Amino acid sequence: MALDALLQPVVLFFLLGALAAFARSDLAIPEAVAKAISLYLMMSIGLRGGGEVAETGFTHDMLLAGGAGLALSFLLPLPAFWLLRTAGKLDRTNAAAVAAHYGSVSVVTFATGSEILRMAGMAPAGFMVGVLAVMETPAIITGLLLARTTGANSLAPRGGLLHETFLNGSVILLLGSFLIGLIDGKEGLKAVAPVFDVPFRGMLCIFLLDMGLIAARRLMDRRALTLRTVVLALLLPLMNGTLGVVIGVELGLDAGSAAALGILAGSASYIAVPAVMRLALPAADPGLYLGMSLAVTFPFNLTLGISYYGWLAAHVWPLIRG
Amino acid sequence: MTNTIHRRRIEVLADEPLIPAIVRIAAEAGITHYTLLPTLGGAGAHGRWRDDQLSGATAKVMLLAITSADHAAAFIDRLAPLLESHHLLLMSSDVEVVRGAKFD
Repeated sequence: MALDALLQPVVLFFLLGALAAFARSDLAIPEAVAKAISLYLMMSIGLRGGGEVAETGFTHDMLLAGGAGLALSFLLPLPAFWLLRTAGKLDRTNAAAVAAHYGSVSVVTFATGSEILRMAGMAPAGFMVGVLAVMETPAIITGLLLARTTGANSLAPRGGLLHETFLNGSVILLLGSFLIGLIDGKEGLKAVAPVFDVPFRGMLCIFLLDMGLIAARRLMDRRALTLRTVVLALLLPLMNGTLGVVIGVELGLDAGSAAALGILAGSASYIAVPAVMRLALPAADPGLYLGMSLAVTFPFNLTLGISYYGWLAAHVWPLIRG
Repeated sequence: MTNTIHRRRIEVLADEPLIPAIVRIAAEAGITHYTLLPTLGGAGAHGRWRDDQLSGATAKVMLLAITSADHAAAFIDRLAPLLESHHLLLMSSDVEVVRGAKFD
């Protein structure tokens, strides 16, 4: 599965973008196009997930997975914070800001992971999109509590911070699209399938080409990263992802959904959380939290992590449980 | 000959998520007219940066306002304590404007 995953067009386009950036090519995707595609991906993921849930109905597994996702997002920043403080030697504010990123999720890692799992015959259940949306924001609250302050001189008004946390664009779009998919069902969505379903993989390729460029350029400009933080940016997804898979299998989710829970737990946010942290914890270094989540963890998950979580969910943990 | 009036030009370079709060501070200082300008990238004390619409966290926006000396002074007093902690750049300069009443 690992080699198959590496040879998927989406991953190869990511590697192409990274290579182009390392070679200092002038290749660039216009920022507005990348932004538009990221919105498209969220709409498409939400619609497809909602459509599938409309077909299967609300299940016991859905509630369990949602509860697990919520708990993981709230709690994953705690061990991450401890590791970042002790092994990473980060101050409280930076450790809290980074920990929040590792409790939250990456939509694109989930989208790519779902595609790779689907290719391997392990398509995750549609309700995992709901779990994705649920896991976006709780980690932000834990991160802010860990920081113990929003900064004495912070510009962030409390109301504005709550607004940004719970009503940020990606949560609204994901949940809204999921609800629309739920209301219309698979039949109702057929009318928009030529836009939101058929071109999905191609759009993901364009987006990942851009992500390759961004991740590699951020890695080349790694002023804020140290060997310790890079090692932690590799260790945290492995730890969190393994925990996500184990919980998923223990809850009785199918292998694909358990792997998807591992992907969600192992991924780190680089869209929703950075903007909130920039406002709430201005003393935290964006070069550090974006460098770790975007330049190290995201490429790791895309190339190796997703295959590992899938392998763990399909073969290893069920074997250990007997 | 066209008459011109002396005003202060205020420029603030800040990360995009901070802009609404800076606009609020400007309004509290009496500056209600302003322009927001996008930026492509640059380099500063914290390294290179470039437009980042994906997360929006490190995309930088320039706030430009032309205002009276009193309003400019009030704004600078309010923003100065935040410059270091929020990685802001604040510039002020003298300008001559036509139709001075538009820039109170």
